[in-house]
Amino acid sequence: MPISRLKTSIAVVTALAAVLLIAACGGGGSGGEAKKGGTLKVLDTAGSIDSLDPGYWYYQSDYQEVGFTTQRWLYGWKPSETKPTPDIAQALPKQSNGGKTVTVKIKSGIKYSAPLQSRTVKAADIKYALERCFLPQVGNGYANLYYSDIKGVAAFKSGKAKEISGIQAPDAQTLVINTDKPAGVLTGGGALGMPCTIPVPKDYAQKYDQGKQSTYGQHQVFTGPYMIQNDGKGKITGYKPSQKLVLVRNPSWDKASDFKPAYFDRINITCCSDATVAAKQTLSGQNLLSGDYAAPPTPVLKQALKRTKDQLSITSSGGNRYISLNTTVKPLDNVNVRRAIAAVIDKTALRQTRGGPTLGTISTHFFPPGADGFEEGGGTKGPGFDFMSSETSNVALAKSYMKKAGYSSGKYNGPALLTIADNVSPAKETAEAFQEQVKAIGLDLQFREVPHATMLTKFCQVPKAKVAICPNLGWGADFFSAQSLIAPLFSGENIVPSGNVNTAQVNDPQLNAKINAAKQVTDPTKAAKAWAELDKDVTSQAYFIPWLWDNNVSLESSNAKGVPSKFNSGAFDYAFSALK
Amino acid sequence: MVRYIIRRLLWVVVLLFLVSFITFLIFYALPSADPATLRAGRSPNPQLVEQIRHNLGLDKSLPHQYFDYMKRLVLHFDFGYSYQNNISVKQQILDRLPASISVAIGSAIVFLITGIGVGIISAIRRRSLLDRATMGLSLVSISAPVYWLGLVSLYLFASDIGKFPVPFLKGAGSYVPFSQDPSIWFQSLLLPWFVLAASFSALYARLLRANLIETMSEDYIRTARAKGLSERRVVFRHGVRSAINPIVTAAGLDLGVLLGGTILVETVFNIPGIGRLAYDSIQNSDLPMIQGTVLIGALFIIVANLIVDIMYAFLDPRVRYS
Repeated sequence: MPISRLKTSIAVVTALAAVLLIAACGGGGSGGEAKKGGTLKVLDTAGSIDSLDPGYWYYQSDYQEVGFTTQRWLYGWKPSETKPTPDIAQALPKQSNGGKTVTVKIKSGIKYSAPLQSRTVKAADIKYALERCFLPQVGNGYANLYYSDIKGVAAFKSGKAKEISGIQAPDAQTLVINTDKPAGVLTGGGALGMPCTIPVPKDYAQKYDQGKQSTYGQHQVFTGPYMIQNDGKGKITGYKPSQKLVLVRNPSWDKASDFKPAYFDRINITCCSDATVAAKQTLSGQNLLSGDYAAPPTPVLKQALKRTKDQLSITSSGGNRYISLNTTVKPLDNVNVRRAIAAVIDKTALRQTRGGPTLGTISTHFFPPGADGFEEGGGTKGPGFDFMSSETSNVALAKSYMKKAGYSSGKYNGPALLTIADNVSPAKETAEAFQEQVKAIGLDLQFREVPHATMLTKFCQVPKAKVAICPNLGWGADFFSAQSLIAPLFSGENIVPSGNVNTAQVNDPQLNAKINAAKQVTDPTKAAKAWAELDKDVTSQAYFIPWLWDNNVSLESSNAKGVPSKFNSGAFDYAFSALK
Repeated sequence: MVRYIIRRLLWVVVLLFLVSFITFLIFYALPSADPATLRAGRSPNPQLVEQIRHNLGLDKSLPHQYFDYMKRLVLHFDFGYSYQNNISVKQQILDRLPASISVAIGSAIVFLITGIGVGIISAIRRRSLLDRATMGLSLVSISAPVYWLGLVSLYLFASDIGKFPVPFLKGAGSYVPFSQDPSIWFQSLLLPWFVLAASFSALYARLLRANLIETMSEDYIRTARAKGLSERRVVFRHGVRSAINPIVTAAGLDLGVLLGGTILVETVFNIPGIGRLAYDSIQNSDLPMIQGTVLIGALFIIVANLIVDIMYAFLDPRVRYS
């Protein structure tokens, strides 16, 4: 073969290979094209979804298993994007009136599943969906965070008004939201990309929203590509709590107006497997993707990293893990003591208790990667505080901070500090490692390990419990919003008697004012800078010591391709995943 | 006998009442977590938490809550609704009962057959190689934690992840109700039955062996032999019948406990039974579900105890109830 032809052939083959490689990567990763059809099997280990009610959905498994698959939201989230994509909405929201009015036009012709298959989604259905998120029988966990600035919310919550006056549907295709002050989370569309915007037809749902707890979830109508198997008369049959969840195609779904490909014909979710068994079954089986666990048990993970690495999907979860220091308990009211603790802990060792570097990156500041303001706040390098710069323990620095705090020996010599930890692995081991590490600066802990729910609802989130240190906490951003990382955790206005997530009990008027000002910034670039500044402030004060930016580790069978969703902390989005 | 049974049935009611009261005290008066806060999401406001608390009836006084609960239970056999998913507790327990019954009855059959069989053989072939081997194995079986044994059996023999897969030994999560597919039901339960039965078999074998050895040295056994009865008849009609009484007591109680749920086996093999339901509800502070599963478990144990006592009269001629 002449050299020139050989070169041409090599070039063609190389180009072809490159195209194939790019195509494969575009399909989501390691080889194999997405195949339409088939049945996906999912193994859950932790209890599956929390509720059937869209108004309650807030957690990873809710979004993953029913949120993305069975319903369309006003704004949805493509797996690799960090900005909302119009779903029921025609376009991103339009703001007017100085950012105090948000107008959303919605698509026409989006139908509900049986028994309302002849009805289409109206703006009024989204208005009711937002309103019912404030009903105690629904028990929504974020409406107060993002929608409380809407006019008329207070009157609706107190029962003085039957509707929220600030949410209006002047016609079937227009939704107008009026707020008392500009709200960046609404003008940018982020907070409208939450399940509270899943349409709920009022005349159908209202009867289920009466009583102690809403039962709408068990009778809901669907707009997404799938629906929970049901009898067609408004009763769900494909769900047994902590046993099974069966999703089948929704005949009312309009593929043309949706951005989700929805490859599978059916999704069978089974709960609740042992985590080790589920991980092994997924790795050695067919048609399987991992379900409601953020990472497999450490031994399985180590084995999988050696033998079947291409079946692991490791992505940043957009969340962090931190140690909370209660600023109302002495000596933690002293910023230098808090900084000393930050300097003395060995973050690498703490990470090792969870499974090592695969499980995440050592934090240098509070904001996790992916959050708005992360790069402005210093990116992975961070703002450069000395007590946060070392991945391992810096005892000399820690002692110098203790001396600044008034402990001339560089060691604390007061009474033991009440520390409440999780009693389940790997969090338990993390807390025990922390307990050992702080001995270097003389901190003696009154250490108690309790179940996770007890740790939160009886101790760490109850101010009167006077817990000094909670070493097993973590937080993730909602819709990449920096506000959701800062306001609930650091605003003194959010300190409440129970369910208090401001576990450090920070109540600095200057900080509160800065947070309130940042919430009103509607320009995304300016907002990112404002929040990044706050990230720097809270990191500097060491209220919390962030030590890990978490990764999500999902598993897939050799013939399945899961597509991780950035919005949902790296968990697979089944509406985009497929068989190879 | 009838009067005895009626008296015992009345005691069943009293005991269940006591169990309900103690469970209520433990979980409602001293809950491990606050159900209202858990329901209210990750960043709730106090107003929402209090409204949820009111909706769940948790703001009423404890006696009032207990009275309401018992009234519903006694008058309507209503266990209330789960705090977690708002589905009827009774419905969820009834949904899961067949799985727990399947696991319990199947493993009871396995451990009774193997335990009694091995116990008899070991007793009559005392100090033989077979006796030493089975008693040694029984020690291993007693010592092996069920959870570990379950995982090992799956890794070795399950048809999906086993190193030496046996096609008819289905892996975890393959359970289907008997009414849906009897063949798959049977195959999915084989491993759980043997794993769960392992320690019980071993205990029963050792217990029966010890009793039988003692019984076989009694005078009436010598008399039976002197009368010219066959050895088989001596062992089974005279020896085993007398030695088996403690096994019946233990088996009755164990079956009751197993019917109330076998958390570890249900977890490892992903069988949707009562045990797993109880475990999950404790994790979620789902108080009505905890109360429901505990009461059902207690009912099984109490009834099993009653049945055992009645069976005594038939097994042992010396026992008479009046």
